[in-house]
Amino acid sequence: MGALDNLGAEITHLLAELAGKDIWDFGWGSITTYSVWIVIVLFLVFAIIWVVKSRVSLVPKKGPVAAIEATVEYIRREVGYGVLGHKEAVDKHMPFLFTVFFFILAANLVGLIPGAKAATGAFSATLTLAVVSFVYFNYYGIKHSGLGHYLANIAPKGIMPGLNILVWLIELLSLFLRIITLSVRLFANMFAGHIALGAFAILTTLFVTPLIQEFTLANLGGATPAIGWMLLIVLMYGMELLVAFIQAYVFTLLSAVYIQLATSEH
Amino acid sequence: MTVIGYGLAVIGASLGIGLAAYGATTATARQPEMQPKIFTTFILGAAFAEALGLIGFVLALMSA
Repeated sequence: MGALDNLGAEITHLLAELAGKDIWDFGWGSITTYSVWIVIVLFLVFAIIWVVKSRVSLVPKKGPVAAIEATVEYIRREVGYGVLGHKEAVDKHMPFLFTVFFFILAANLVGLIPGAKAATGAFSATLTLAVVSFVYFNYYGIKHSGLGHYLANIAPKGIMPGLNILVWLIELLSLFLRIITLSVRLFANMFAGHIALGAFAILTTLFVTPLIQEFTLANLGGATPAIGWMLLIVLMYGMELLVAFIQAYVFTLLSAVYIQLATSEH
Repeated sequence: MTVIGYGLAVIGASLGIGLAAYGATTATARQPEMQPKIFTTFILGAAFAEALGLIGFVLALMSA
């Protein structure tokens, strides 16, 4: 089993590669490769929406414009009217939700291009997104019912005195846990996907390398598992395309649910 | 060892997602016209269950 000897070292190398490198370090923080990808994705989203916006017409079009229109309509129907309910709230919160959705979707999809990195594959990036969402729904919750009322409404009504303080504390903790679950879900999904793709690619190369170095019949037989690993890469890539959409959708959906919970009467 | 821990964490998450999918398919079979709503609820439930498994994954990587 000579092929698998280098696996550990290669995986360590892959993890180091995914960790992101400092481009410019200034004391309390640094610009990493992921920061650059965030900016690239932002400009990409701006550019795409700009082009699509100028081409939107009353007569439906085909191609990318129609695809984006269909996505927007699906999100508005399912997340907007499905979760937020009435039209007033949908019109108010949809711009934020669409911004989040398209940014995450673009970041996830850009990360699937070989050589590119997903902006959402860095924990600091997803943590920032989650904090933005957290601040947003708390701001509208407090604006809707006032600070005291909002804080009192964290716990459900009708629990016996004494116990309700405990329940309130637990609910407050779970409110802050939303930041962690939102960010970790997105980050871990992208990170795990990239590690799986990278590991399969490494395994393919490890099995093929002896064949490239010396073409013998034994090496040809030894290289056959590479076909299986290559098929797995293709399967995993399709899976990751699906995950890119689902995770963007889940983040948007959960943000909408939190907004709805914060702004509804108890 | 961390891999075993992650495997244990995944048992719960996979059972949860499996149950959610089971419920979603039976509900859709009973009332196909409610499919979009049921799908949204399924994704929500699966997301909550999945988050726990993923926290296990991140912890396994951190302590490795």
